[in-house]
Amino acid sequence: MNYLQYYPIDVVNGEGTRCTLFVSGCEHHCKGCHNATTWDARKGTAFDQAMEDRIIADLGDSRIKRDGLSLSGGDPLFPGNLSGMLKLVQRVKAEYPQKNIWLWTGYTLEELSQAQQDVVQYIDVLIDGRFELDKRDLSLPWRGSSNQRIININITITPRQIT
Amino acid sequence: MTEIIKRDGSRQPFDAPRIVKAVASALNDAQIKDHDFAEYVAKKVASTVEGLELVDIYDIQDQVEHLMMSSEYHNAARKYIEYRQTRDIERESRNALSRDILSIINQDNEELLNENANKDSKIIPTQRDLLAGVVARHYARQHILPKHITAAHDRGEIHYHDLDYAPFFPMFNCMLIDIEGMMTNGFRMGNAEIETPKSITTAAAITAQIIAQVSSHIYGGTSINEIDRIHAPYVRKTFEKHLQQGMRWIRDEEKAREYAMEMTEKDCYDAYQALEYEVNTLHTANGQTPFVTFGFGLGTSWEERMVQQSILKNRIRGLGRNCKTPVFPKLVFAIKKGVNFSPEDPNYDIKQLALECASKRMYPDILNYDKLVEVTGSFKTPMGCRSFLGVYEEDGKMIHDGRNNLGVVSLNLPRIAIESKGSEETFYQLLEQRLQLAKEALMTRIQRLDSVRARVAPILYVEGACGIRLKPDDKISDIFKNGRASISLGYIGIHETIIALYGGKNGSGDLYDSEELRQKAVAIVETMRAAVNKWKQETGYGFSLYSTPSESLCDRFCRLDKKKFGVIEGVTEKGYYTNSFHLDVEKKVNPYDKVDFEQVYPKHASGGFICYGEYPNMVNNLKALENVWDYTYDKVPYYGTNTPNDSCYSCDYEGEFNATSRGFECPQCKNRDSDKMSVTRRVCGYLGQPNSRPFIKGKQEEVVRRVKHL
Repeated sequence: MNYLQYYPIDVVNGEGTRCTLFVSGCEHHCKGCHNATTWDARKGTAFDQAMEDRIIADLGDSRIKRDGLSLSGGDPLFPGNLSGMLKLVQRVKAEYPQKNIWLWTGYTLEELSQAQQDVVQYIDVLIDGRFELDKRDLSLPWRGSSNQRIININITITPRQIT
Repeated sequence: MTEIIKRDGSRQPFDAPRIVKAVASALNDAQIKDHDFAEYVAKKVASTVEGLELVDIYDIQDQVEHLMMSSEYHNAARKYIEYRQTRDIERESRNALSRDILSIINQDNEELLNENANKDSKIIPTQRDLLAGVVARHYARQHILPKHITAAHDRGEIHYHDLDYAPFFPMFNCMLIDIEGMMTNGFRMGNAEIETPKSITTAAAITAQIIAQVSSHIYGGTSINEIDRIHAPYVRKTFEKHLQQGMRWIRDEEKAREYAMEMTEKDCYDAYQALEYEVNTLHTANGQTPFVTFGFGLGTSWEERMVQQSILKNRIRGLGRNCKTPVFPKLVFAIKKGVNFSPEDPNYDIKQLALECASKRMYPDILNYDKLVEVTGSFKTPMGCRSFLGVYEEDGKMIHDGRNNLGVVSLNLPRIAIESKGSEETFYQLLEQRLQLAKEALMTRIQRLDSVRARVAPILYVEGACGIRLKPDDKISDIFKNGRASISLGYIGIHETIIALYGGKNGSGDLYDSEELRQKAVAIVETMRAAVNKWKQETGYGFSLYSTPSESLCDRFCRLDKKKFGVIEGVTEKGYYTNSFHLDVEKKVNPYDKVDFEQVYPKHASGGFICYGEYPNMVNNLKALENVWDYTYDKVPYYGTNTPNDSCYSCDYEGEFNATSRGFECPQCKNRDSDKMSVTRRVCGYLGQPNSRPFIKGKQEEVVRRVKHL
């Protein structure tokens, strides 16, 4: 899994004060995408242990309180990103069960594969659906077009043992 | 051969016969015949300039004056001085004065016309005010201020603020109006006797009247300290009136109370709506909307809470058909642990309302109670946009309302640094000299008010706005003494000063990245603070150190320095100097680190300060905004979050417009028509609307360069 950008403090991708990671790799290629440079999964820097540790450390920062982690891209649920993502979200939830994770994906909730669902079960808020240029609306919070949805996924319904 | 520098800067060989002629003519006017004396004066002056290359015409004239005064011909000396003054005035009026007047007619002097972003220089009353300002400025420079002060101001070493008002007019800067005293004891305004109001509606209307009057008699901002506490009794009276009415018709006490509360809520909201409209439609004698600030937030009674909610809800709604963001009154919301800081505090709901309001309308700025008390000694709302009073007691009781600031003179710190050519020692020597100049300049403000009688501004001195009731013929000077009023030394451009002074040696001279430079910067501010402390001890006047907002000064000092010293990278290059101790607007740091960087300064510059951060639109993320507010609580006393929320009347987009050098643009429909948008940006401690009234050039440049701290 490669990433293109990491914001240790972010207030525009999700509620509260957050850490935000933009990974590379996306197969939707939506017309009008404002982040087309992120489509190629080979772009950016390899997401390594050090980066993961840095995110974990930032989330635990006692000086500047973080509400959680935001995952965007690219598409965090791009098939090539799934194993990396799973490891990251599992660790975040294990270390900070009270912090939330937001994830932006071009897939809709209904069309997620099993492997994608395995990641999404650790997510609190999912913003799903492709960006549709004719439905572009800058006034919508957290979304680019009106077809996209903000879905609260309540992980407490299916509690899992996190190892 | 000796050359003379004439008034227009040109040079001419020294010519002794001209002196003979001038002295002879003065003798003649005094009906004295002594041609030898004229020759004697000329010879004497010639001998003192002999061997010198360049001599100023003023020095020659001073010498002539001196020689004549010390002779027996006092009458002739007087004639000579009169003649010289008349000529000076004539020359002045021929040149600068008429040029400035003409520029008002031709609308072509940007400095003069856009100096204040809240004045619309195209309309007649403002032009009359500008005209009065031009004349007052010229007269003060010519006849009131000592020559060396005027010269230092002209050279851009110091800035004598608000010369268009004071010292020509015996006016002071800004104040906290004693509304409580005025309303409780009644007062006279114009032809009307005004008694204690019997409802919030009347109280708000009278408040607007007082603001209008006071703003016409001072040139800075007028603030109402704790308006929630001051207006609470009138909310109560409104409730009681409605309750009486309710009991008459309903007879069920519980229901009547419910009715009365609902009516009171409506009245209170409407009263503040009317007050806000009143402020925004008023035009003071100074040709502008009154610069008024409402401080509120500490009260926890239901009446005070209702006032707080009414103010915020009105602001959230916006002004007029397009629900525009008003820039006045400025709102300052106090946050205090135990009152509204945490979810368990009684007014936490109002803090949430304040956050919503700030995200949509940029105001309120916040005052962090505990930090403010630590830094300035007590809690009070800033006068105008950022001037803070120190502690002052009368009969063992702390007093704030009715007090004022007498005015500001600011130092051009980057200039001193440039002149020091990298030598810290030289810098501190020059700083010492400039401080002395600034002190003398400030003393002229005090002297100007010395023999002034209360009748020049009845609203202030006779009717109670200043918290006292003098007789019209009483002198006003005593109420400014013993620290009751403050008088401020201002400063600008710590950022550029450090680059100019240490840039060469330490590479970039970037203050933020070097702990050593940070300490150097603080040391400069501490030196100025020590100076004002000393002046305070010496004179008994409340000298304070003030972080100058520099709305137009950021442009002026930089422009003068660029002219004199050329383009210096990182210093004069940008076209503006950075506001007081603020972080370079181009420096990309998160708001938390910016707060940490700036938090050391307010305690030194306790006479005036504000810190702020640049944010994206935060309407959908109040939680994050609250995180930042909370972070500042024990770090900076006074904080503003710049969260642009503009509106487009073409496509209904609400959010941040793009700032370009050609103006502002809607990101959704690309609308650039300044009549079809509402754009609000921070100018200094105040907001401004640059789409309708452009900022001065240096300021616009600074706005375009601002980077987001998130």
